[in-house]
Amino acid sequence: MTATTQEQVFELIAKQAKVETGKVTPQSTLKDLGIASLDAIELIFDIEEHFDIHFPEQQGANFDTDTAQSLVAAVDQALAEKASGEGTK
Amino acid sequence: MPTIETRRVVITGMGAVSPLGLTADELWHGMREGHCAIGPLRHKDSDALRVKIAAQVPETFAPAARINEHMLPLLDITSQLAVYASYEAVEQSGLDFTHGDLATRTATIIGTGVGGEMTHDEQAYRLYAEKSSRTHPLTIVRLMANAPASQISIAHGLRGPSFAVASACASANHAIIEAARMIHFGLVDVAVTGGTEACLSYGSLRAWEAMRILSTDTCRPFSANRRGLVLGEGAAIFTLESLDHARARGATILAELAGGGMSADATDIVAPNPDGAASAMRQALADAGLNPDDIDYINAHGTGTQANDVTETRAIHAVFGDRPKHLAVSATKSMHGHALGASGALELVGVIGALREGVIPPTANYDQPDPECDLDYVPNTAREVKVDAAISNSFAFGGLNAVLALKKAP
Repeated sequence: MTATTQEQVFELIAKQAKVETGKVTPQSTLKDLGIASLDAIELIFDIEEHFDIHFPEQQGANFDTDTAQSLVAAVDQALAEKASGEGTK
Repeated sequence: MPTIETRRVVITGMGAVSPLGLTADELWHGMREGHCAIGPLRHKDSDALRVKIAAQVPETFAPAARINEHMLPLLDITSQLAVYASYEAVEQSGLDFTHGDLATRTATIIGTGVGGEMTHDEQAYRLYAEKSSRTHPLTIVRLMANAPASQISIAHGLRGPSFAVASACASANHAIIEAARMIHFGLVDVAVTGGTEACLSYGSLRAWEAMRILSTDTCRPFSANRRGLVLGEGAAIFTLESLDHARARGATILAELAGGGMSADATDIVAPNPDGAASAMRQALADAGLNPDDIDYINAHGTGTQANDVTETRAIHAVFGDRPKHLAVSATKSMHGHALGASGALELVGVIGALREGVIPPTANYDQPDPECDLDYVPNTAREVKVDAAISNSFAFGGLNAVLALKKAP
């Protein structure tokens, strides 16, 4: 069985935060998990690479307060856009 | 210990190539008029790139107009901009470097963030994409970070101390302070200094995209709807000399470079820290013998990122108080973009203009007050007001801060 988007995203978050995957909940913010500044940008990069997607621009201002669940939603949206051929380069 | 006799330092010449034009005058007039030189990115890969806007030097820039045909092939665009601007500065100063031992008493210190990035990118493409086994033989001399300083020294025959200063977005201010100190402490009588940058290569643009701090619309420093910085390019070069040296030859003095302050945040490699910025501002004031109340104008670092503009505002409050009266702050990056290692030099042209003409260049594209940015940012329209003293802030990735303090010409 393949892992769900949520499982994959939580695993990437846990890896960046250096915590057990079980510590990541849908409501955890990156800041709660100790992911700030460049770590957050790096996490976004890891997620983009993992799913071969591009998040839209202008998320930089609020990465730290993003919840794990909102990142999952953003991945789902980017995957849907990619599937419909509207993905950015 | 013997006391060291120190000397006052003045600016007697300036030259610039910037998104606002091919001379320092054009740069100043553009700023004064509130012209925004940010536009669609001109790049061969612009269809693929996600970054769509930049502030670039005009397409009419023709380096051969000033740089001779033997020298030109040796220069990356970073050096072309710097050497071109140096001719304007030296010409304005009226300095004659063939006179006496002046050439050996002249330093050449130029700031640049990354040096010859365009050359590096172009040659890397040959190797990795085109699978060529050879790079152009002039690759090293074009890309080395000291090339702009070396080429200016060669162009004018300047034989005193010469080197590059690299501190990312504070490079120009660090270089200018270093040059001024050499004159201040009597190591040299004259210095040619400033900053240059031209790094809008495919690789560099991709790297900036990955940091997610580039704006997608325009540069709106201190405005609540600011969305990030806009990359720029350009060079501005100045001739500095001791006040006595300038007076002895009857030179026109543009402004006094009265002091400088430098500090390191020593906290985060990118997140700015108000304490480090405030420390550099305080040192600049102390070095210039100025009180916070003496300052009429601050040319802000003002990049238009969320983090910088709030942090810089806090740092200014820390130094100038809760409600600084008559203190105008503007961010000219809203017009000429963020030229990184050249930015402090481009902005110094704006400060000199403000001191000479009593006109403070505005913060363009400002349209939404931010409660966390509560200073007087001279929104959108230049302001006529007497300016006797000013400071100019540059804060860099790496947590490196360099602030210039300027006074009206004595």
